[in-house]
Amino acid sequence: MRKIMFKKNVLIITTLMFVFVLAKNAFADGHLVYGPYPITLKGYDGDKTNSVKYTGQMARQVLHDSLKALVKTGDVGKMMAYYNGEDNLAIIAPKSKDDFKIKQTMVSEIGSGNLSGKTYKGAVPGWGNLTGTEVLEHMMTKAGEVEGGFDPNTGFDYTQLISKFAMGAVFYNQAANNYLGKKMEIGQKPNNAPYKEGSYYTGKEHSWDEAFGYWGSAAHALTLSAEQNYNVAKKKDMASADFNGDGVVDLYSEYTFAHAYYASSYDKGGKTNYLATVNQAFIDGRQVITDADGRNLNFDERNKLLAQRDIIVDNWQKVIAESVFKYAGSTYKDIVALETIIEANGDTTDAFRKYAKHWGELKGFALALQCGPENLGETAVKLNRMMGLGPVLLNASQVVGIDSNGNFIKDQAQDWSEFKLHMLKIQKLMVDEFGVVAKAKDQLSDMEALAGSMGSADSAEND
Amino acid sequence: MDYFFDYTSQITNQFIDPKKRVFLFYILISILIATAWFMINKKLSFKKTLIKIFDKKIFFSKSAKSDYKIFLINQLIMMIVSPFLITQLTIATALYFYFHTIDWLSAGMFVGIAKIYIILSFTIFQFTIDDFSKYIVHRFMHKWPVLWALHKVHHSATVLTPMTVFRTHPLEGIIFSLRSAITQAIGISLFFYLFGNSVDLYTVLGANVFVFLFNILGSNLRHSHIGIRYWKWLEYILISPAQHQLHHSIAKEHHDKNFGAALAVWDWLFGSLHHSMEYETLKLGIEKNQNEDSHDLKTLYINPFLEIRNYFFKLLKIMKFKIFNLKLKKRYLNEN
Repeated sequence: MRKIMFKKNVLIITTLMFVFVLAKNAFADGHLVYGPYPITLKGYDGDKTNSVKYTGQMARQVLHDSLKALVKTGDVGKMMAYYNGEDNLAIIAPKSKDDFKIKQTMVSEIGSGNLSGKTYKGAVPGWGNLTGTEVLEHMMTKAGEVEGGFDPNTGFDYTQLISKFAMGAVFYNQAANNYLGKKMEIGQKPNNAPYKEGSYYTGKEHSWDEAFGYWGSAAHALTLSAEQNYNVAKKKDMASADFNGDGVVDLYSEYTFAHAYYASSYDKGGKTNYLATVNQAFIDGRQVITDADGRNLNFDERNKLLAQRDIIVDNWQKVIAESVFKYAGSTYKDIVALETIIEANGDTTDAFRKYAKHWGELKGFALALQCGPENLGETAVKLNRMMGLGPVLLNASQVVGIDSNGNFIKDQAQDWSEFKLHMLKIQKLMVDEFGVVAKAKDQLSDMEALAGSMGSADSAEND
Repeated sequence: MDYFFDYTSQITNQFIDPKKRVFLFYILISILIATAWFMINKKLSFKKTLIKIFDKKIFFSKSAKSDYKIFLINQLIMMIVSPFLITQLTIATALYFYFHTIDWLSAGMFVGIAKIYIILSFTIFQFTIDDFSKYIVHRFMHKWPVLWALHKVHHSATVLTPMTVFRTHPLEGIIFSLRSAITQAIGISLFFYLFGNSVDLYTVLGANVFVFLFNILGSNLRHSHIGIRYWKWLEYILISPAQHQLHHSIAKEHHDKNFGAALAVWDWLFGSLHHSMEYETLKLGIEKNQNEDSHDLKTLYINPFLEIRNYFFKLLKIMKFKIFNLKLKKRYLNEN
C-alpha cells in the first residue's frame, strides 16, 4: 500500500514539475513579445481575448512616414491631409519592396488617428517660439514654397526638419509626457475601470500600450538582434519581420518605425542596447499591470511600474540625444569638406546640399529632444544657440528669426570656424548631459583613441 | 578584493609593459650593456663583472630597501589619486576647441601631407616636448624651495638602483603626471587639428620608438652604480648614465647640473651641462654624513610637508618684517 502511495506521489510530483517547466517556458517566451495580454477588466462580458490595442499609434507611424515622403513634392494640401489624418489615405511609405511584402496599403487598414491633434503644445524656443503644432504647420507651408523640399536660400531641408521634429513632437511627446507621464499619475486612467466607456481594456493597460505604439518597434523586437530590427526598417529582412509567418509584414506589429529604428541603428554598433532595454521595460511594465488583474495598482506595483517607465523615458531620451550627437558630427565633417572645396574654388552645390541635410536632421532631433518631460533649461539654450535657427550659409548669412508673418529673418551669420566648433561642443554637451555612449560620427574619437594608446604617467617616476 | 587585484596588476604591469622604464626586457638589456662595459672597458673577468653588477651592498642597502618600499606605497597612492587627476584627453579637447577660434588656423589645413611625414613629425614632436618639459620641470624642482622639499626625497638616495626611479614623493608624482598630461595634450590636439585623422605614433611594442630606443640604450643604468660614460661629443646630445649619476652627487660643483632625461641638448643650451668624469666612488645623496633617518619612510613622506610649512612661515615672517619696516619708515618720514 505504502509503495503504491509513494509511486503515486512521485508521479504527481514529476507531472507537476513537468507542467511547471512547460509553463515557465511558455511564460518566458511570452515575455519576448509585446502581447497578447488577457482581458482583465472586471465585468467585461464581450468576446475579446486580447486587451492590447495600439492601432491609432501605428496609423500615426505610417502617417509620419508618408508625410516625410510627401515633403519633397511640395504639395501642402496633401501633406496637411496626412498631418490631419483624413479618411481614405493610401500608405505612401513604407511600401512593399521586392520580396518585402507589406500587408496594408491604406492607413485605415491599420487604424485611425492624426498627427495634428497629438503634436506638442508647448513653445519651441529653437523655432521662433511657436508652439509645436505651429512649427510643423509653418515648416509644411514653407516646404510648399520651394523645390523638392529644400530651400537653398535658407539651407532648410524640410524633409528632415519635419520628419525629425514630428517624431519628437508627436511620438516622444505623447508617450513620455502624456501616456507614461500624466496618465500614470494616481487617479488618472485607473486600472479598475475601462480606458473609455465601452472599452475592453483598463485605463492603465491602454495608456501603456499606446506609449509602446509610439515607440515604434515591432512587437517581437526582442526576438531579433539589433541588426535584424534595423534591417526590417530598411526592408531587407523579410524573414525577421514576418513573425507570424503569413507571408506579409503587418505594419501594426511587425515593422520597425521612428525612434525604435534609430535605437537599433546605434545598438548594432554593439556599444548600446537601447531597443532591447526599452522593449523589455515595456513588457515588464505591462506584466505588472496584467498581474494586477483589473484592480487598482497598489503602492508596490505602482513603484514597479514607474521604475519601468523611467527606464523607457530615460533611454528614449538618450536615443534622441545620440542622434543629435551623430548629426552634429556629420555637420562638422560637412563644414570641413565645404571649406576645402571653397579654398580650391570648386563647385559647392552637392557638398552644401549634404551639409544642409545633416544640419536639418541635427536641428529636427534637437528640437525633438526639447519636447520631453524634462525641462532641459540651460542645455536647451546652449543647443539652440550653438546650432542657430538656420545653418550658416556660404554668403556668411544665417536665418536668425521668424517675423510675425512667418517669414524668415536673415542676418550676418556666426563665424564659420565658430559654427564648426559649436558642432563639437554640441557633441560634448550630449556626452556631458545625457551620457550618450554609441557616439556615432564622433569627431574626437580618433584623438581619444590615440590619447588612450599613449597611456598616462601616473606611476610617480623620477627621471 | 578588486582593489587588491588592481593593485597587484598595476605593480606587475610596471615590469611587463614596454612603455615603462623597468620593463624586464629593458633591465635585461641594461645588464648586458653593463657586462660588456666591465669586461671590455674595464677588463674584468666574467665572475668579477657579475659580482660588480649585482652588488649586495647596493641592492640590500638601507637606501635601496626604502626605494622598494616607496615603490609599493606610491603605486597604491597613485592608484587612488589618479582618477581625480585631469587627463590628457580633457586638456587636449579644450585645446582642440580653442584652436577653432584662432583665425589663421583651420582644421585639417595640412591634411594632404603624406601620412609618413605626419607620423614621423608627430613622433619626434611628442618625444621632444616630453623630454623638454621633463627638463624644465626638473630644473624647477631644484630651484624652487617648495619643490626642492619634495624632490629631495629622490635625492636622498645614497645608492642608485633602477628602482630609485620610483623614489619620488607622491606630490611630485602628481606634478609629473600633470606634466605628462599637458605635453601629450599639446601634441595630440595640435596635430589632430592640423593634420586630421592620419596622426599616429611610430611605436615599438606600443612605446614611442624614441622612448624605446632610449630604454634599450640602457636607461636603467642612469640609476645604478655603473658609471658608463659616452664620448664627449655625444654627451652634448644624450645624457650618459655617468652624467646622471653626477647629478646625484653631493659635491658642490655637481649641484644643479644635468637636469635632462634623455637629451643633453637642453642642459647644453641652458648652461647646466656637466660632462661625466672617471671616478671610483661618487658620494651620492643630499649632504655629507647624511643622517641614517633619511631613509626612514616617515621622514621621506612627512618631512617635505614640514619643510614646505616652515618655508611659508619663514616667508611670512620676512614679509611681516618688511611691512613693519615700511610702516616704521613711513612714520619716521611723517614725523619729520
